[in-house]
Amino acid sequence: MVAENSTPHLHSAVEPKQTFRRALDMSARAAMPSLFIMFCAILLSAPFGVPGQAQLQFGIAMCTVWFWAYSRPKSMPALAVFLNGLVVEIFSFGPPGAILLSLLVIYGVAHHWRYGLSRLGFLAGWLIFSVLAVLASCFQWALVCVHAVALLSPVPGLFQAALTIGIYPSLIALFVWGRRTFANPDQA
Amino acid sequence: MLSIHARQVLAKAVLPILILLAVGLVLLGLVRRPVVDGVRLMATDFMAPAYHGLVWPQERVMVWLTDLRGATDLAKENSRLRDENHALRHWYDVAVALAAENGRLKNSLHWIPETVPQYVTGRVTRDDGGPYSRAVLLDVGSGHQVRIGDVALDAAGFLGRVTEVGPHTVRVLLINDDASRIPVTLGTSHGDAIMAGDDTAAPRLIFYPQDHHPVEGERVETRGQSTMPAGLPVGTVHYTAPNRPVVVPDADLGRLDIVRVFDYGDDDSQAPDAPGRVRVKKLPQNPLSGPLPFSWMPNFPDMPGRGGQ
Repeated sequence: MVAENSTPHLHSAVEPKQTFRRALDMSARAAMPSLFIMFCAILLSAPFGVPGQAQLQFGIAMCTVWFWAYSRPKSMPALAVFLNGLVVEIFSFGPPGAILLSLLVIYGVAHHWRYGLSRLGFLAGWLIFSVLAVLASCFQWALVCVHAVALLSPVPGLFQAALTIGIYPSLIALFVWGRRTFANPDQA
Repeated sequence: MLSIHARQVLAKAVLPILILLAVGLVLLGLVRRPVVDGVRLMATDFMAPAYHGLVWPQERVMVWLTDLRGATDLAKENSRLRDENHALRHWYDVAVALAAENGRLKNSLHWIPETVPQYVTGRVTRDDGGPYSRAVLLDVGSGHQVRIGDVALDAAGFLGRVTEVGPHTVRVLLINDDASRIPVTLGTSHGDAIMAGDDTAAPRLIFYPQDHHPVEGERVETRGQSTMPAGLPVGTVHYTAPNRPVVVPDADLGRLDIVRVFDYGDDDSQAPDAPGRVRVKKLPQNPLSGPLPFSWMPNFPDMPGRGGQ
């Protein structure tokens, strides 16, 4: 794995004693990305009246799955992506299955290319993610058009893609910090 | 225990299986959308108390900000309120006089009073629009009688119709949603039109009479149709471009809080039979199912081509 080697000093011969509390702490840290997606999905479905709430749901889920799928796949297995996608689907009112399928596809891409993506620079990773975010938004737009049996304006979809691409750097900064600290099972 | 090879195969098969399940959900959404929306409504029902808790701090902050804004400009606010009160007193007198006159006229015409609609009031639990739709979920409590097609109004005017009904929650499709089509009547030009939502703040007016174009600033009201009564205030006409009239809604669609859902009942009035209308006789389902009754007769006089005179 790639990210498991990021904290080599912790993989010493002397391991802390495996207790129930430590196992619980490790599980909570490993589940942190999934909990983050679910918490944001529920929080952003509340009627705050903030513009772009629904688009943020999609953007946060996409960024989180993308980062953890190539950075630490153990914290974001395929089944967790599926469950997260289902939660986001339940707490949004878009065309059913569009977000779930987009998350699984972006997970597949990130997981399959995780070694290459880890070697790539931030900008190259951002660019590849941007292309995928635009494709996912276009897919969602196409599904909405099929549901409505009409050609709707693609502007909301493009806004969603732009918002997803725009929040990527700040979220990645948070996740990079989280990978070393609160979401690192090795530090339990 | 599975062998290492079997586990590797299984690990590789998980993602394709999950993608297939997701495609299944997409197809389910296409052919059975109400099933998926029902699950979403149930989740919202379950989360309704949590939503109230989540927005409570925001509501408090908004109240404080309003108070603070009022406190900083008390003299100006007082003067404005005094003027507004003065104008309202005038309109109150006009309204009372018109109500009395209306009552007298209805009395002399033996006017049959209209039924009073049932209504429930609910708080917006969630703005459930998404990128492509404009809708809100209302918490109307248990034991409500809301039905699909009922009309929803806020304090200022008409805002949408009920599209899904859950045990505690109902979904209201707003008039600016792309799927919304509301028949309306124009106040001054007296023309009929359809108000079509297009995901913007102001829905468009379409199918209006070509010899009576909508007039800038005229009132727009609902046109009576099945469960929707006539005369509900919708908004005013505004031209954003030549030949592009839109309706500026009275309701504050961007910031909905308390919403009332009215049930005007079914329009079960049947038109009487027009004179001369011929009722079509229903043919039997299977006219030639059994053996023909005359097949055993040797000489049937009425049968065509068989010894007819």
